[in-house]
Amino acid sequence: MTTAPPGTERLARADGRAERRKAAAARRRDRRAAELANVVPVRLYGLRRGTVTLLTLCAALFALFILAPLAWLVVNATKTQANVYSSFGFWFARPFVLFHNLSLLTQSMSGSGVYLQWMGNTALYAAAGAGGATVLCALAGYGFARYRFRGSNALFYLTLATLLVPITAVALPLYLVYAKVGLINSVWGMVLPSMVSPVGVYLMRTYIAASVPRDLIAAARIDGAGEGTVFVRVAVPLMVPGLVTVFLLNVVAVWNNYFLPLIIFTRSSSYPLTVGLALLAQGAGTGSKGGLVPVLIAGGLMTVIPVVLLFVLLQRYFRADLLRGSTTG
Amino acid sequence: MTSAGLDVLGASVRPRQAHRGPRAGREGARGLWFVLPFIAVLTLFMIVPLGYAMYTSLFTTKLIGGTVFSGLANYGQVLSSPDFWDGARRVGVFAVIQVPVTIGLAAFFAAIFDLGVARFGRFFRVVFFIPFAIPAVVGALMWSFLLLPQLGPYTRLAAALGFHDTDYFSSGLILPTIIVIVIWEWTGYNMTILYTALKSIPRDVVEAAVIDGATFSRVILRVKLPMIRPAVVMLVFINLVGALQLFTEPSILSAFQPQAVSYSFTPALYVYNTSIGSGEYNLGAAAAVVLGLVIGAISAGSLAWRRRKGDLA
Repeated sequence: MTTAPPGTERLARADGRAERRKAAAARRRDRRAAELANVVPVRLYGLRRGTVTLLTLCAALFALFILAPLAWLVVNATKTQANVYSSFGFWFARPFVLFHNLSLLTQSMSGSGVYLQWMGNTALYAAAGAGGATVLCALAGYGFARYRFRGSNALFYLTLATLLVPITAVALPLYLVYAKVGLINSVWGMVLPSMVSPVGVYLMRTYIAASVPRDLIAAARIDGAGEGTVFVRVAVPLMVPGLVTVFLLNVVAVWNNYFLPLIIFTRSSSYPLTVGLALLAQGAGTGSKGGLVPVLIAGGLMTVIPVVLLFVLLQRYFRADLLRGSTTG
Repeated sequence: MTSAGLDVLGASVRPRQAHRGPRAGREGARGLWFVLPFIAVLTLFMIVPLGYAMYTSLFTTKLIGGTVFSGLANYGQVLSSPDFWDGARRVGVFAVIQVPVTIGLAAFFAAIFDLGVARFGRFFRVVFFIPFAIPAVVGALMWSFLLLPQLGPYTRLAAALGFHDTDYFSSGLILPTIIVIVIWEWTGYNMTILYTALKSIPRDVVEAAVIDGATFSRVILRVKLPMIRPAVVMLVFINLVGALQLFTEPSILSAFQPQAVSYSFTPALYVYNTSIGSGEYNLGAAAAVVLGLVIGAISAGSLAWRRRKGDLA
């Protein structure tokens, strides 16, 4: 009989899990140690005791400067329009109307469009634009980092030349072209230009040069793998941290883009959040009767939460050591 | 480990072979296919539109007579417009203040967090970076409310400190107000870039300096900062380009105080208001091209600088 007694398998699986946990803990410890090993102990500088306190205080003051507007946003999303103006800005006031304010986001406010739809649009533009940008950057970065072909230098310099060309300089030109080819108010008109990320290409090229060893690619080729297979099976797994960084940068760029959608969308049902909120601001700022202020503030809060969460959770992708390492010793 | 089999040939053979492979031969040519999709989208959605804008800027549309070729007349009109220069001068002043202050603050915090001489560095780095993730529209909205005349919390704070009737949107204070908002938005991003650069300096360099008796400030100013100069210069260019395209913050502030921001407050606003606002697309295109050329020149400057420093390898 080869059947093992019931439960053995489960035990073995539990064993495996415990081991994996242990290994993960060890990895974390190692990373910690590596981090510490790269820092010169503070006491070596021979600083006076007060210096650390003073510098910490400076940082705390700047943190206050950064966080105060956000605290204001959270607190005032819970207030009525009258209280936004009359009560103390950094503390709550009765009545507490957060949920009422949030419910207003599902309604059309004085004909300027529905917040929820803007949020959906923004999510679509950000996901499609950043996803596409990440794929293009991965391919192009790999091509530039690991191949020499006719014109590779010229194309790379072209990329570098567009590195700092801002969306502001391209937005009106895009509008003029869209007006000719009928892309005004089109989703593609927003998504496709958002996929252009010369910075991402540059970043991926640098990242690949440091973290995808040529030897590994050569070895895979000797084993008979085609160029596409080498890219997908060998290179991409090693590029993941860099790709996450590029994806994040592009999500934020699209999520926060204001000038391009402002110009290419004339229908409020196509607006992303930024343009929608600016439209609301116009109404709230000039005619203060419409009760638009709470919608504006609650809407601003809901616009900020997803991106900030994304960033705080994925903060580690902005760590220096991820941009090095993984090269064979 | 993997090289064990090749050791017979001598260890030095392996890397050289590996380096020759991708440079020449059939594999090299395939690199083009990896690069092509990006180049295609770049061409269609950046280079073609820019070219078309240049073409459009050479024409003038009249109510009677339609569109006629007018050469550089639109450029003449833009460059002789006092409104355009007013905006250009304003972003110049803006950049001269905002860029050094932002990078200075960023470098200061990056240095102290890198050396670990302030407590809770990890926490502060996350906090400082948050505004980067916040849309400029929302950032400007929050600050608008905070600075509202009479009713804003910061306006009341100023009044409590003895500065009554401070109007942050007045013609004298609107630019400093925008500078503060932009510093709020961008310091954390700059700090993160510099922090990353500082972290990549090997420990031995700093250690050697410390053992040789370098003080804390000497380590920062003489050892660390020179080593991250490429990153600093890159940030100067990035911030400069950002300053030149200033648009979102003033246009949001103008929702609250329409008279504070003129239609040509910045070159980007001028582009928007002449084209989308008043329908003078040819003129707007010319202004956009001028703005693009200036930014392109700065871009080329940064490229030349990096090339000279051998940073492009």
